[in-house]
Order: sequence, then C-alpha cells, then structure tokens
Amino acid sequence: MTPPTATAPDTLRQPLIPPSTHRYAEVIHRLEAGGSMLPDTPENLMQIIGIYKAYAVPMDFYWRDLLYIAERVFLDPLPAFKYFPSQEYLDLPNSYAGEQSKLRIWRGGATAHPELLEFMAKGETTAMPKLLHHLWHDRINMEFAEACMEAMFWHQGMGGRFYDYLECDAYKANADRAIKAYFRGNPLMLGLYALFPEMFLEQVRKMSYYANLGLFWEVMAPVFFEMSDIYDEGGFSGVPAAMDFLVNGIFAVAGRPIYHHVYIGGECLEIIPKSEGFTWLYEAALPYVEAVFYRTAPFRGTKSYNAQAGQVPSEQADFHYGILYADVFPVGSAGIPPTLLMQDMLHFLPPYLTELYAKHKRGEGDILNQLGVTFQRSMYNVTSAVIQALRCALLYPLDDNDPEHLMANRRFFEAQMDRFIRPEARLPQIQTQDYR
Amino acid sequence: MALLLLLLLPALGAGLLPLLPERQRLLRRVALVPALLQFTIGLSQLGHPPSELHQVWLPRIGLALDLGLDGLSAPLAVLIALIVLVTVLATPADQARPRLFFSLLLATDVGLMGAVLARNALLFLLAYELVLIPTTLLLAVWGGPRRAQAAIQYVMYGAASGLALLGGVLALGWLNGDGFSFAFADLAAMQLPTGSSHWVFALLVLSFGLKLPVVPLHGWQPLAYGQASSPVAMLLSGGVSILGGYGLLRFAIGFLPDEWILWSPWIAGVGALTAAYGALNAIVQSDIRRLVAYGSLGHMGLLVVALAAATPLSLQGVVAQLIAHGLISALLFHLVGLIEAKTGSIQIPELAGLLNPYRGLPFTLGLFLLALMASAGIPGLAGFVPEFLMFEASWTPFPVATLLCLIASGFTAVYAVRLFNRVGFGRLDNDRVDYPATVWSERFPAVLLASLVVVGGLWPGLLVGWSESATTALALRREPFTALVAIAPSASPRQIPS
Amino acid sequence: MANIIETAKGAGCFATLLTAVEVAGLTGALESPGPFTVFAPVDDAFAALPPGTVQTLVDNVPQLARILKFHVLSGAYRREQLIEQTEWESLEGAPVAIRRAEPFEVKNATVVSADIVCDNGIVHVIDRVILPG
Repeated sequence: MTPPTATAPDTLRQPLIPPSTHRYAEVIHRLEAGGSMLPDTPENLMQIIGIYKAYAVPMDFYWRDLLYIAERVFLDPLPAFKYFPSQEYLDLPNSYAGEQSKLRIWRGGATAHPELLEFMAKGETTAMPKLLHHLWHDRINMEFAEACMEAMFWHQGMGGRFYDYLECDAYKANADRAIKAYFRGNPLMLGLYALFPEMFLEQVRKMSYYANLGLFWEVMAPVFFEMSDIYDEGGFSGVPAAMDFLVNGIFAVAGRPIYHHVYIGGECLEIIPKSEGFTWLYEAALPYVEAVFYRTAPFRGTKSYNAQAGQVPSEQADFHYGILYADVFPVGSAGIPPTLLMQDMLHFLPPYLTELYAKHKRGEGDILNQLGVTFQRSMYNVTSAVIQALRCALLYPLDDNDPEHLMANRRFFEAQMDRFIRPEARLPQIQTQDYR
Repeated sequence: MALLLLLLLPALGAGLLPLLPERQRLLRRVALVPALLQFTIGLSQLGHPPSELHQVWLPRIGLALDLGLDGLSAPLAVLIALIVLVTVLATPADQARPRLFFSLLLATDVGLMGAVLARNALLFLLAYELVLIPTTLLLAVWGGPRRAQAAIQYVMYGAASGLALLGGVLALGWLNGDGFSFAFADLAAMQLPTGSSHWVFALLVLSFGLKLPVVPLHGWQPLAYGQASSPVAMLLSGGVSILGGYGLLRFAIGFLPDEWILWSPWIAGVGALTAAYGALNAIVQSDIRRLVAYGSLGHMGLLVVALAAATPLSLQGVVAQLIAHGLISALLFHLVGLIEAKTGSIQIPELAGLLNPYRGLPFTLGLFLLALMASAGIPGLAGFVPEFLMFEASWTPFPVATLLCLIASGFTAVYAVRLFNRVGFGRLDNDRVDYPATVWSERFPAVLLASLVVVGGLWPGLLVGWSESATTALALRREPFTALVAIAPSASPRQIPS
Repeated sequence: MANIIETAKGAGCFATLLTAVEVAGLTGALESPGPFTVFAPVDDAFAALPPGTVQTLVDNVPQLARILKFHVLSGAYRREQLIEQTEWESLEGAPVAIRRAEPFEVKNATVVSADIVCDNGIVHVIDRVILPG
C-alpha cells in the first residue's frame, strides 16, 4: 500500500523553494503541507484514536496516583501502598474536564473515568479486595508511569528551568522544611536526614518529578478522551485533523503551571510554588517528549547491553530507546515497561480496534504486539503535533510567502527528521500499513 | 494372533492406501487406523510372557514365518508403532502425494516390525531389506534440495549393510553344523569354528555398524537426516536406527558371545570415537537438522560402548536408550520441521528471538529445549535413565571409552546452549518476521512425545522395566556392583549376581 | 513624552497586551523609569494564537508574566543597536534572537513599526507573539 502523497497547500502557486533531498523528503513535504509523520489513511486515523482512548483510561489513573504519591505518600520509607490512591485523589476534579474546569477540553466528567473505576473494582478476574488485585497483578501498572518519571528524572537537562530549579537554594530550603515537617517526631529519620541530607533531598527531587509528570498527564487524559469522542461523532476528517487538535491543545494548555505541593498533617507546603512560573509546555511536555519518546533507557530483558563495548551511547542525549525507536516485538518478555503499558491499554480497547487486531497477524495471540505498533503510530502523530507546535511557536506559518522563512521551516523539519535516520527508528515502517 | 496382527495391519494399510483417492485428510485417517491398532496391540503385549508363532514357509531354504515377542522385542515393537503413529500425525496437512507417502510409511512399518518380531534370521534379513526400499523412496521424493544425493548415499550404505548381513546370516545358517537352520533358537545354541566365526562376526558388525551408524561408517547419516523431510527424519532416527542396536544385541551378542567379548574393547573404542565425533560436529553445525543428526550420532556412540560392556545393566541401558533416543530424536526432528515450516529456515544464523512470547514460536522452542535437555541427560527426563545406566555399567570394563562418552554427552549441553542462545534469544528481525503460530494439530505429536519423555524420566520402569529378563539373559559380563538397582525400581532382585 | 504604557494605550491596537500586562501586575514596572525595550505584539498577534492559549495564561499570573517578560529587554535599544547583536537577553532569562535586519525580524515575528521612543524606553511593534525556545 502506498501512502497518499502530500499535496502542496495551494497547488496553483509555484513552490517557492526546491524539493527536499532528505532521506525522508516525502515525510518532510507532508509536514510542510500541514500533515503528520503518519500517513493520512482512514485506518491510521482509526488506530491512533482508538489507542488514544485506550491510553487515556489508564492515564487517568497514572496522573491521579502520581500526584497522590508526590503530594501524600511523599517520603514514606516503606511506600507499600503508594499504588492505592485515596478516594480524594480518585475524585480530584481534572482541571480540563467537567463543569468546574476553567478551560474545558473534554466534555466528560471531572473525576476518575467510569471504565477505570469498573476495572479497579473487577479487574480481569473478579471483584475482590484491592490488595488481592494488586498482588495478583490484576491492576493498572503504575510501574510504567514510574518508568516514565524516572526517564525524565534521569535524563534531565532537556530544556525548561525545572532541572536547574531543583538545585537552587530556594528549592533546597523548601525541601528541607518539608522533610522536617514530614518526619516530625521521628528521631530516627531525622537523624538519618542529618547524616545524609543529600539522599533525602534527592528523594524530594524525585517526588517533584512525580508531580511534574502527574500534572502533565492530567492534561493529556482529557485531550485523548475528547479526541475519541470527536472521532466517534465522525468529527475528524483525517490524521492531520487529529494532529491539529493536538497542536491546538498544546497551545491551549501551554501556560498551565507546573508545581509541587505536599500535604503534611493538613498543611500545604509549597516545594515548587506556582509563582515560579513553570509552564506545562516548557517544564513538562517538551522534557517528557524528549525523555520518553526519544531517549528513555535500554529495556532490561530484551538484550544485554555492554557499555564497555560502546553498545550504550556515552552521551545521554544520544539515547534512542523511546517508543519512536522501540522494537515492540519483545513486548511480553520479562521486565519491559512497554509491556506494562500495552497490558494496561488492552483492558480499554474500543471494540473497533479489537476487531481490527483479530483480523491481522496472530489475532488474539499477539494483540499486545499489534497494539504496541498502533501505539507507536499514535506517538509518531503526537510527536508530529509537537513538531508542528514548535514550528508554529518558533518559526513561520506553512503558507508564508517569504522563501527564507520557508527554508527556515524546512531546516527545522529536516533537523527533526535527522533524529530518525538511525536504523532503530520506526519512521519508515509506519509509512505502510504492513507494519503491525 | 497379536503377532500376526502387528505385522498384517500395516501391510494391509500399505496395500489399501494406493487404492484410495488422493485426499490428504482421508488418507491420513486411514493411515492412522493400522498405526493406532498396532500401537494398542503392542501395548497390550507388554509385560506378557514371551509368545511365539511358527509357520513353515519355504523349508528348503530354511525360511519360516517364525515370529516372537519377548522382553526385547515387545518394547521396541511398541516404540516402532508409536513412532509410525506420530509420524503420521506429524505429516503436514499439505503433504505432496499423500497416497504414496503414507503407503511407503506403512511399508516401512511392516519391515521394522518384521525385523523386531522375527525369530528366524532369514526372515529378519528380508524385513531388514524391506525397510531400505520405502525409506529410500521417502528420502528421494520428499526432502531438501540435495535429497537425490542423500537418497543415493543412503541406499548405497544400506545395500552394503544388507549385503554384509546377507553374508553373515547365510554363513551363520550354513556353518550351523548338521543341516542348516536359521531359527534363532538353533543359532543361539551353535558353536562356530573359531576361524570362520571371526568373519561372520565381522560381517554382522559391519552390517549393523552401517545401520546405527558408527564412525567411520556414518557417511550417509548427516546428509540423509539433514535432507529428509521432517516426518521421514522422525521415522529414520526414531524407528529405523533401532535396527542397528537391536541387530547387534540379537545377532552379535546373542549368537557370537565369545567374539563379542574378544572384540569388545575395539568396539567400545569405536563407540567412544562416534560419541566424540558426533558431539563435536554438532557444535559446529549451522543447520539445525544437521545439528540434531550429529547429536543423534553422538548418542549412538554411547550406546555402542554400553553394548560392548554387555553387562546386565548396560544392556538394560541399551534398550532404554533405544526407546529414549527414539522418542527424543523423533520429537527433535518434528520440532525442527515445525521451525522450518513456520520460519522458512533452519539455518542458525538466520534465526533469532524465537522464544518471543507473542511473535516467536515459544511453544515449539520450549519443547525443543525440553528435548535437548532430555538428550543431554538431565535427571527427570527420559535421557537420564539410559545414560546413567550405561555410564555406570560401562565404567568398570571400559573406563577411558566411558569417560570420553561422558565428556561427549556433556557437549550436548554446549550445542544446546549455543543453539538456544542464537535461535531462541536475541531480537526477532522486524522486517522479516511474520511467522504464523503453530496450531494444535501440529503441536499434538510434540506434546505426546514430550509427555512420554517426561514420564519416562520420572518413571524409569517405562524404559527398562519390560526388558530386564531378556537383557540379563543376553549379558556377557557380570555386574561388579549392585548399587544401581535402586534407580530402576522395576529391576528385580533376580538381577543381582550371585 | 509618554511612558510605555501610555504610548501603548494611545496606539489603540494593544488592548490584549495591555490587559495581559495589567493582569500580570507588570503595569507598575513598565511605568517605572526603566529604561526598557519592549517588543509589543499587536492584538491580531494574540488573536492568531490557538483558542485557549491566552485564557490559560491569564488564569495563571506567574506564567503569563513569564511570557510577557520575554518581550522585554532591560535598556533602551533602537533598531540599529539591536541588529548589531544576534541575541539579547530578555527579562525572562531566555535570549531573544534578532534574525534579520531587513525586513527587521525579532525571532519569528516581523517588526511592523520600529523605534517608537517613550520616556522610559523604546517600543518595537511586532506582528506575532514570540515564545522562548
């Protein structure tokens, strides 16, 4: 199957700049015409929207629990119950859904999604106490969310001011206050804190990243729910329309504050106050995309990497183990974070995707792989939206009349595509429907 | 009656099949009937007192339809029936020319069954030769790209083996004092003149050595096993190779015990050489089927050493090994066939990641691992019992040869690990991989064999229990110790030497 | 002469900007002696942003202030001074790039009217909201 070729925005006009000679020239021309890296086919649209919906439900759990951990569990030395967010957090109104939201992205409710609550009650098995669900691993895999958080925490330095702030004196003073408040009346932990202050501080920094990711996903869940609803109503004309929705979403919430508050004994301590001016776009979304889509870390279980033999890049910026590069075939092998996500999404697939998977490859047998590939496609679309949003924010409109501006856009797109030249990138595969 | 049925059922089947329409599913079901009946009858005969059947056929040349089931024949007959049964089951649904295929399969069955049931050397010879023809055709018609060459080599070696056997059997009969006779009972009682007995012995050992095979008579084996289609390889390795071991046991040890004692150090040496040669070759193979073929050759070496030892326990080990090896190698070849059918390749460098739970062949590879572990003699699986018996019993008479075999057996783990590291682990190639999953009809023969491999490991009586009195009667050396009786629960106190 | 805020009010095409400055509490700062260089996006520039963008910022004052500060340099610079350097540090902290002299372009915005001198600084009118990064 050949993907539809990109058409110029205005076919009557002579192109102002020569065609690209980049290896992914076809994709670049599509981006320049306002398209996505993912070809515009009805099946691609169906796949990505279906998976957004399946992703949004567990994500609704992830962000609630991430905030619960960051704000309530905090420095608990034995956080055995950190995956059991309190009812308060399940009812926490989403800032972008429900009646109370100032900017309503999803027309649905503000508290935990009904499908999520149903799954939490029953799981794959049957209704039983949540501790048994947890031990039987019949639950939402928060380990995946933590793996994403750790990728952001470990890579750091990917733009934004968040990372620098964690090292500044104001942050340390706030953290110190929170640590002392949290362990008030606990001489053992306070003694340890006196002996190893950096260790505790590092834990607080990690908690700040929990909050960061939680606040990031709080936005993405309603965005994906709304996209699914629009699709069900027949509202998307194609993949570019779905991408544009994401681009607009990115702009709409770009200024959303990123902060870290901790609640200790009924008191709210601001470790990262909103007044620091940290924004969703710069301090959460862009680092998230870089850390999780592009970089992450080699997954244990698929292959033994020998760092001494240069099999792992020496520069963190060269890491390329994210979903855009991932080999989804080993999904299902031991200890791989994507397996956990695929398993989570499996529970919430819309019927049209279940039908689609049953028709291809091994049907039910390798559904986790198939939905992994779909997820890869959908994340290429999200990345396209990020690239277009950045182009929109930092460069020029696609219909600009100045050739120099168009060349600047071209250079930007080419630089982005350069990241997919390495052989692990799945960009060439997602151009066809055969990759499943 | 049972004896006759064992022989007649496949013969009837082989005759009937060519008359049926060329419809694969029908033919397969029809072929299953005699195989299944034969297997059931064989099972029902296990543990019964020896039964015999005498029917004069051509008395002028000494040929008689003398059939018998004793502790030696019965388990082997059951094994043959089982191997034929799983071979039919394992035949792919799109088998080309199924009529001819199943017919030849059952013809081979007749020959094999006739050989282990025969109580007359001439009848044995006939059956032995009968096996060669259909197997050659099975090899020549269905197989890899070099199947013609493989079939030619196979038939040449087979003919040489047959000629040697012909010479040996005729000499046995004619040199048998007053009035020639080929009846086993007479042959066992005779005394050959020393000079001629050397020659007869040499002919017999040559014949069965070619069949087993042992180094340096193995030239046909890797090629034949490597080129044969999987069901045929199952039949050859699991069924036909029995003939060599059984022949040595019955003829060389049974009829020429003094010669056997005389030459046994040399035979043990050949066995050790075969074991080492097979194992070392298996390590360097890049074709999985050839790897399994050489592995099988290595295990035949151990069997020869145990035969050379000829103590009650070692011979029990031999029979157990014939059964265990039959089960394991049939399983291995079936699984290799599945890998080839699904991936289109059995070249180790071309495969990787087959243990992948969703897109690989986890079931096939999982059983492959089990079969290789059984082959390496891991306790709890069928390969352990015979290997342990044979090692312990051969150690006193031939320590060096046994040690070599032990090391060679250890190499099984080496090539198994190497194979698994390359084929099982690593990454599936995203661009190439689109393997269909195995279906239950393909899995069933493997599951059947694998469960027997496990049961045989947990219940050694299945492998050694039926043949103890027969092998004890054939033993030429005494057991210097008795400690091992414990591992074979069914072994009775009778066996403890006085 | 008027200060920056007064100048903007007088121009009539900076209603959104002035509201934003007001909400962000920066009016006082821009009325102070400064001096500042302000890249002032016209109303159309704000209108061109996808829906919700401005609303979210107005709802979150520190974040709004941050974006606005990116439009302000410390010190009064005319066009000919600005084009001598490729980058200028904004009050927000991130650098503002001067991409082209003719036509005069600040980051991805084009200056539609340069060198409006006020008594506490200089205003350059731009056709697009500029963002750090």
